[in-house]
Amino acid sequence: MKTKFKIDDLVIVDDRLSTSHCRTPSYIRGKVGIVERICGEFPNPEEIALCNDNPSIIPLYRCRFKQADVWENYEGSDKDTLELEIYEHWLKKI
Amino acid sequence: MSKIYKKMGPHDVGGENSIPIDLNDPEMTHWEKYANALRIVVSSKRIITLDELRYHTEKLGDAYFEIGYFERNCLSLHNICLNKGIYDEELFKKVKLRKIAEFDVPKINLPDPNTIEHLHDGVPHSHEVSDFQEDETGEGPPKYYYDTLAIAEIMIDLGLITKEDIAQKIDQFDNVFPNRGKTVVAKAWSDEDFRQYLLEDAKTAISNIGIKLETFADIICMPQSSETHHIVVCTLCSCYPRTLLGMPPSWYKSRSYRSRVVHEPRKVLAEFGTIVPKNKEIKVHDSNADMRYLILPPRPSNTDGWNEEQLSEIVERDYLVGVRLPD
Repeated sequence: MKTKFKIDDLVIVDDRLSTSHCRTPSYIRGKVGIVERICGEFPNPEEIALCNDNPSIIPLYRCRFKQADVWENYEGSDKDTLELEIYEHWLKKI
Repeated sequence: MSKIYKKMGPHDVGGENSIPIDLNDPEMTHWEKYANALRIVVSSKRIITLDELRYHTEKLGDAYFEIGYFERNCLSLHNICLNKGIYDEELFKKVKLRKIAEFDVPKINLPDPNTIEHLHDGVPHSHEVSDFQEDETGEGPPKYYYDTLAIAEIMIDLGLITKEDIAQKIDQFDNVFPNRGKTVVAKAWSDEDFRQYLLEDAKTAISNIGIKLETFADIICMPQSSETHHIVVCTLCSCYPRTLLGMPPSWYKSRSYRSRVVHEPRKVLAEFGTIVPKNKEIKVHDSNADMRYLILPPRPSNTDGWNEEQLSEIVERDYLVGVRLPD
């Protein structure tokens, strides 16, 4: 599996808009985190949703974000984190 | 919250402010179980993929929060079937009318209680009208049940699925899936090697104890510890390790849980009675793509010498989602 990113890489989630089905929640776009693990390769959900029978197979990462970096005025602990799965084409290196 | 303008649709609720979580989790009705089973059968046979279903649900626009979870599922399934040419409106209407007719109950004359004279144990006995009536005020099945039955019947006639597929799924959701997670946790509490394996590669570890999960998704197991409290949510829909835990509870699918957990996990946990000290890390897992999560709770201290069966009986679903900890 060829991946653009490796574990602990600092990454930013692309801040672009999406118009169709997409699994990158809007709240995480434009936020900076690190790669927690590489989950493997999966069919691109943006293509499967449109009935594409031969979707691209793309790497999926789990990324870790500090809650204080995600939400303005986050009220919890500085230690608090949020992890979610981001497909490679939504990530950029910093 | 910032960046509302980027929201993809009514489903993209992570980060919104919302109301307190309704912790009631009513028993599913038969039609909900049937609708759920049909959806799972159709997606596991890849007749329609999960992402197609999600996409069509997201496209419902304002109707998204005006109708219930299973109604949304049914409507999007119907729309996809039309789009894909699995059936057309004409056939659907015809089959649906037939399904509605199957629920028609013939009207019969009820006996007049005043004309019935008989003895019970030698004593004269009378009856009320209500003794002969059933379901006089029943509302009949919900509208979407007819649609669901019609979709299923057409698919069965086309040979895409069978009646048995649906019956088997209903049975698994009732009797098999909800117990699996409990078995796995009891094993992990009893067997350190298994616990380690579970944390490294949950799907294989679970498969090795004879539980074959009927899912394409991978499973990640996170252990609760004195340093970190884990909690799971799916902000975009209702991703949940169904083949390991059964159906998600109502609150897991609710807008309030899905929107709030990501940005105020401590407040949400407090509503479940779980107080996490401020010096402890809370790690929220948004189950938004191809992974599913199992949270491994700590083994209660008063269980020395218990066997796996005894242990599995005290494992509660809420522990495995991370909203509560064993006492």
